[in-house]
Amino acid sequence: MAPLNLTTAIYLLITYTVGLIFVIGVVLRIYQYATTPQPIKIMLTPAPLTKSGAFARVLGEVFFFKSLFKSNISTWIFGYLFHISFFLLIFMHFLRHFIYSNPLPWWYNIFVNIGIVCGIIMVLSLFLLLMRRVIIERVKFISLFQDYLILILLMLIGLAGLSLNYVLTPSALTVVDNRLDPYMNGLLTFQFTNIPSNPVFLIHYTLVMLLVLYIPFSKVMHFVGIFFSPTRNMADNPIEERYYRPKAKDLSI
Amino acid sequence: MAKPKNKYKVPVLDGKISIPKIVPGASAYEHMIEAQKEDMEALGFPFKLQDGWKEKALGVFKEILDHNKAVRDYMDICVRCGACTDKCQFFLGTADPNNMPVQRQELMRKVYRYYFTPSGFFKSLSNAQELTEEVLKEWYTYFWQCSECRRCSLYCPYGIDTAEITMAARQIMDSIGLGQKYTTEVIHKVFKTGNNIGIPPAALRNTLNDLEEEIEEEGGKGVKIPMDVEGAEVLLVPPSADFFAMPHMESLKGYAKVFHKAGISYTVSSYASEAGNFGKFIGSYQSTKEINKRIWDEARRLKVKRVIIGECGHAWRAAYMYSNTMNGPFDFLDSKYKQPTHICDFTLGLIKSGAIKLDPSANDDKVVTFHDSCNVARGSRIGDVVGGQFTIPRELIKAAANKFVELREGTTKESTFCCGAGGGLLTEEVMNVRLAGSMPRMQTVKEAVDNHGVNFYALICAICKTQFTKVFPLYGLDEEMVGGIHQLVSNAIIM
Repeated sequence: MAPLNLTTAIYLLITYTVGLIFVIGVVLRIYQYATTPQPIKIMLTPAPLTKSGAFARVLGEVFFFKSLFKSNISTWIFGYLFHISFFLLIFMHFLRHFIYSNPLPWWYNIFVNIGIVCGIIMVLSLFLLLMRRVIIERVKFISLFQDYLILILLMLIGLAGLSLNYVLTPSALTVVDNRLDPYMNGLLTFQFTNIPSNPVFLIHYTLVMLLVLYIPFSKVMHFVGIFFSPTRNMADNPIEERYYRPKAKDLSI
Repeated sequence: MAKPKNKYKVPVLDGKISIPKIVPGASAYEHMIEAQKEDMEALGFPFKLQDGWKEKALGVFKEILDHNKAVRDYMDICVRCGACTDKCQFFLGTADPNNMPVQRQELMRKVYRYYFTPSGFFKSLSNAQELTEEVLKEWYTYFWQCSECRRCSLYCPYGIDTAEITMAARQIMDSIGLGQKYTTEVIHKVFKTGNNIGIPPAALRNTLNDLEEEIEEEGGKGVKIPMDVEGAEVLLVPPSADFFAMPHMESLKGYAKVFHKAGISYTVSSYASEAGNFGKFIGSYQSTKEINKRIWDEARRLKVKRVIIGECGHAWRAAYMYSNTMNGPFDFLDSKYKQPTHICDFTLGLIKSGAIKLDPSANDDKVVTFHDSCNVARGSRIGDVVGGQFTIPRELIKAAANKFVELREGTTKESTFCCGAGGGLLTEEVMNVRLAGSMPRMQTVKEAVDNHGVNFYALICAICKTQFTKVFPLYGLDEEMVGGIHQLVSNAIIM
């Protein structure tokens, strides 16, 4: 095993710290939302009459953004494109880890190209979402620093990722690719190897770390909060089944 | 008649519901009158800001965050996508950006950020703000320009409910002595006399006698409106406006005729002479529970089998949605029936079973349209199936009248606009806000009048009835058009 360089040592520290903060932050939030009692039923009607129906309603919001579809079609299109491409990319990054082998499967290039298309869609949709915030008067008025920050951060991540394919020579990219898998395995098995040293890759990686670190403190937590939203996840059966939460302390409705 | 028109800012009815260009501060000067000492103290609140108000306010804020999942969740997860920005009738009417639901929430969220999140460190960047008297002033202005109608929540990708945030803000303000006169006065009256208007029992009996006479003159022989009768089958709880206000009383006559013809014994109660529940408007669980409890205490005392709620929007939401949680279970009542039952559900059931008969041609002089009240449409259900709150009132109208037209598509059912006066806004001093809030609905009413000759505007909410009776003339429409569904039933029922 080659000795570790300083860059790798720093990145290992960063990665573990960020990972820990992310996991603890998200778990704490889930715990907080899950344990805070909801004093009374407040589902927005018409609502499903059963718990499973209400859960399906939440899934409809999660997978299809149904309410947003009703309210603003352009935001829905931009937002949906972004979320789909972003999730595909996350998924494909993990998947890549399993299919990157020697020799490469014949369809590896197709796989990479799908990723590139997703990356382009992601950056474009983020750009359109950003333009909304700049152009539409009402949306500009409500936009805060953190709204621009997250869009720009995600765009930079996408651009850096795309650059790996467009700025680097194929052979340089192969060097990154060959080093990445052992590094990632090392993170899980503690058999550390050096991180790919290509600066474009390191920029991409650093930005991702920033994003992951920021998530528990940001509006990105909507991916947890949506599941706990009482107007969507409660069943319309207050008469049929008594709903009572003594821990709500008779305080507020 | 010309005078009030000059006094108020009446929106122009051109049929369009367009999104205005924002005008910061456009309705910053529309204030509620502050609560009176006796009312605040009767509800256990201090009167006016006292020393240490800020710590108290933050303490209540923290309590709410710890004991209310909705507020806790909704403080964090808004992404400011802007989907709600063009959905609130008060923004559409006033153009004030603080009336965009997300911006109304931001008034509270910026304080939340300052005290309850790490982003409080980066104050100016993240828009975190200390709770100051200045901020409180904003809160008092804009959290009292929300009717808690939840139209924004319908369109929010996460279902963020501004009504919950408004209620929380009002609760915090009440707890430090910053109350609103109208709601605190009404709640105080309910506790003193049993109803929002403050009618004592003897006066109520007199009114009921007068109504019985009127019904008799109109050909309804022997129709009674019993009060405080023990052993009746049904306890009828209408909004108190049904006893005293026009056109509400016409609906009360309708209920009385329905009970009479169906041969079902019923009674109203002088103690629970109010279905309305203003406790909900100020977000107070305790007041809401106490007000709600009167109904079930009376049901016990009068040994009835079932409880029926009259035509009132938020009252129905409170009765349907909160009763069982707050004061249930109701095993002392007949389990055959839904407890409570909505009067429209009850009457339609009787029509379907043949117990009463309606002659819809009695309303042939009317072209009827129906306004879905926000609390019924988005906050409750009527009957057994999803969406019964939309189908049952319409079926009942169609049974009572031949000519019915819907209001503009996209502004009915769950997408309905608020009348502009719900949530404790039905008070004179904010007439301009009420007018602005009524604008989107009035555009569609004007359209229905012009295109379809609509001349009867059917409602099932006491606040809607009062609001539209007041604003119709200001818009140049006849207030006589406004009425309840049971007013149509009253005309059409075959005696």
